Amino acid sequence: MPHSSSTPPLRRSVRQTRDRLATALITAGGIGVIVAVMAIGIFLAVEVLPLFWSSADTPRIDLQALWLPQPYTGLEAPAHRWQPALPEGGGEPRFGMLPLVWGTLEAAAWSLVIAVPLALGAAAHSALFMSPRLRARLRPTLELMEAMPGVVIGFVAGLVLAPWLDNHLALGAVLLILLPPGVLLAGGLWSRLGGRLHRRLPMGWAAVWLMPWLLVIWGLAVWLAPLLEAWWFGGSLRTWLEVHLGLAYANRNAIIVGMAMGFAVMPSIYALAEDALSGVPGNLVEGAEALGATRWQTLWKVVLPAAGPGVLSAVMIGAGRAVGETMIVLMASGNTALMTANPLDGLRSMAASIAIELPEAAPGGTHYRLLLLAALLLFAFTFCVNTLAEVVRARLRRRYRRMEGLA
Amino acid sequence: MHHWQRSKRKSAGEGPWAWLAAGSVATSLALLALLLGLLAVRGLGHFWPADVALVTLDDGRQLAGRAVKEAPLPGREARERLYRDGNRDVDGDIWEWVALERIQDIAHPEDLVVLERRRWGEFIGRLVAIETASGERFSGDAAWPALKERLAVVEDGRRQIAQLREETIQPLVRRVEAGQASAEDRAALASAQSQVNARQAALPDDTLVLESVGGRSLRQPLTDVVRALQPNAMGPVDKLATWGQGVWRFLSEGPRAANTAGGVWPAIFGTVLMVVLMSIFVMPFGVLAAVYLNEVAHQGRLIRWVRIGVRNLAGVPSIVYGVFGLGVFVYGIGGHLDDWFFASRLPSPTFGTGGLLWASLTLALLTLPVVIVATEEGLARIPESQREGALALGATRTEMLWRVVLPMAMPAMLTGVILAVARAAGEVAPLMLVGVAKMAPQVPLDGEFPFLHLDRKFMHLGYHIFDAAFRSGDVQAAMPLIYATALLLVVVILVLNLTAIFLRHYLRGRHGTLPH
Repeated sequence: MPHSSSTPPLRRSVRQTRDRLATALITAGGIGVIVAVMAIGIFLAVEVLPLFWSSADTPRIDLQALWLPQPYTGLEAPAHRWQPALPEGGGEPRFGMLPLVWGTLEAAAWSLVIAVPLALGAAAHSALFMSPRLRARLRPTLELMEAMPGVVIGFVAGLVLAPWLDNHLALGAVLLILLPPGVLLAGGLWSRLGGRLHRRLPMGWAAVWLMPWLLVIWGLAVWLAPLLEAWWFGGSLRTWLEVHLGLAYANRNAIIVGMAMGFAVMPSIYALAEDALSGVPGNLVEGAEALGATRWQTLWKVVLPAAGPGVLSAVMIGAGRAVGETMIVLMASGNTALMTANPLDGLRSMAASIAIELPEAAPGGTHYRLLLLAALLLFAFTFCVNTLAEVVRARLRRRYRRMEGLA
Repeated sequence: MHHWQRSKRKSAGEGPWAWLAAGSVATSLALLALLLGLLAVRGLGHFWPADVALVTLDDGRQLAGRAVKEAPLPGREARERLYRDGNRDVDGDIWEWVALERIQDIAHPEDLVVLERRRWGEFIGRLVAIETASGERFSGDAAWPALKERLAVVEDGRRQIAQLREETIQPLVRRVEAGQASAEDRAALASAQSQVNARQAALPDDTLVLESVGGRSLRQPLTDVVRALQPNAMGPVDKLATWGQGVWRFLSEGPRAANTAGGVWPAIFGTVLMVVLMSIFVMPFGVLAAVYLNEVAHQGRLIRWVRIGVRNLAGVPSIVYGVFGLGVFVYGIGGHLDDWFFASRLPSPTFGTGGLLWASLTLALLTLPVVIVATEEGLARIPESQREGALALGATRTEMLWRVVLPMAMPAMLTGVILAVARAAGEVAPLMLVGVAKMAPQVPLDGEFPFLHLDRKFMHLGYHIFDAAFRSGDVQAAMPLIYATALLLVVVILVLNLTAIFLRHYLRGRHGTLPH
């Protein structure tokens, strides 16, 4: 190669210096960015620490005041109260954080109750039954659903769904109860009417042709709801709930938060769970089907045991999202710091508290630091949950590769 | 026995669970369609000049308005209907509940006019006459054409005044306030102000004589009227034109009446500006970090953990980023900047309060993991042979990265930035802590040095929704506008996401699947 030595040594050394410089720059920049991003946790921890450290300018607060019921003036029994602004009629601000933690977990739990069945059902259906063409469209559609801004969902939940449910509580309940048997009825009819119908309405497109059927179910519920309400609940489900079960109904309540946040969280659970299910090596599925298993048996006995950890990590990531979601809870929950198990009552989550109260809290004060403690809890919780989920998924990927290798 | 089992399985198909799974897909899609349909119908329907009903009740009383909703009357088998009948200054409020059984007649007479006004909201009623300052009086059939004609004159004058205010007076006033004005500036300001006064005086000082259908009369100065319509007399083409005009006004005007009326232009502008600034911050740093992680760093255990950590930061709640932005950017850095450079303005803070800069930096931090992850995915897709080929031809690592790897990873970077923009545009919670404003009269970009005012607060579409929905007095009146704003936000985000999906598709097509 006659040309290799024709580059003058000076130019080469300039190029090499430039290369080294650029590499150093990239390294410094990359590390800087990563450190800056990771600094969030450190900042929160440093700001929160003085709470538990006696120092001159901030009053120390002991852990018990945060997590245990406290005797407050004006209350008979010790209680949990979050009243960070001075309560009316004087007295000290009340910093029991348990109601906020409770509200956060309650909202997340109800949203998972709504989202997990929907997401896992959708993942199972699209991994095993759905026609590939529909599946290729469904994923981006649900990705769009994931991108729906929280403030829009919160607005619809708080100002449209909540008043609607306020007036049509029985209809909502009947609809919820009627939905599963209604879908099963469609399935039963479909299996009975064989032949031509199966070609016209194949199982792979069930997700689409079931939608008009949902309208039928809706119509049925509209017809049935007033009758049921009149027969069993003495004309009004709300009064019945209040009198017989002692459940007060707040306009904006945990169930509404659950529905709205379930809607928001469902697509991310779906995407990860579907990845896990469809990542199961094909030879396992084919083997099971060759042995005569139906697709559902394949799913239940073969795919799910293999993909179980991945599905679990999907649910965990969904839980992480639900715990930290702010706008939906803020707009759909009524923001009352209560500690009741009644799903029809309001709640106040940590994230919503931060959004409302932090701009008004004096920097460096106890209230400010407590809100930062809430942020630290959110950060630590989501970070741990997500790390765990990520580790599980990495293991799963290795397992799939091993399975493929074995087969 | 055997035969029976097989036939049973055949008739049962896949069993109940498979159908429940299919039903959950259908339910999710139906919910999404319902949400989008609701936003589209309500958001776009708001601008349609619907007919105004003249309702006659059984006691002879009349009201004119548009039906909003119906609800069952408590305790009885009857329903009532809510009419939006405007006329806050005449009736005290703009709503009227009417029991359906009391309605005797509903008509749509063509002479009903709907006036949009700057104060007091809508007027719905009849136009009796229009009186000019010079004593002319148009009444009867001549009144409506005269109103149209004179309203056009008023609008023209108003536009000129607004232009003068914005382009000449406001910059001068700010210079005077800052104490930097020269004598010429003061003279220019005085002359501009007198020009405005002259223009204002030249506006036709007409008075509309109006009458509500209930028989109360009202004298309305024409200068307060924004728009006049006779919806019942309009044909479909006219209505469509008015609808288009309404949409345009919504997009191009500022809000009125505590964000419950008017348009969202400042919010659109604020959102876009904030997002553009954020992209400027996030793009280079995100790419830098991704290149470091994927190309430069030693691929050991530590980098694996760092990568997992960065991925997880995408899952950290946005409000936590907001807290960080408030604590570090606003109170920390901003407070110090104020102490050092803007001490003369203290105690009123310059950078020590939420503003455009801190908001876009916070969102840049929030979306950094998105960009890093997307870029890294793109980098990982590039076959190793490309890099080895470049190195074998004598390129240094920097040259290889700059000439070969980064151009190939371009679509991935773009995808990352678009996803980041889509996420940032919908994010509201952190902005509530670091600089969004309910009402920011001045957009943060103008003709005055330094042109881009990073310290100013700004308006945001998402926060506008929250504010109008929860902090305005009359939610019912604000609802149509909230729907329209929500629709706008969703459309923007959907378009951005579709672009990202398309780009990613293109990327997969070009480089094949990820090599394991």
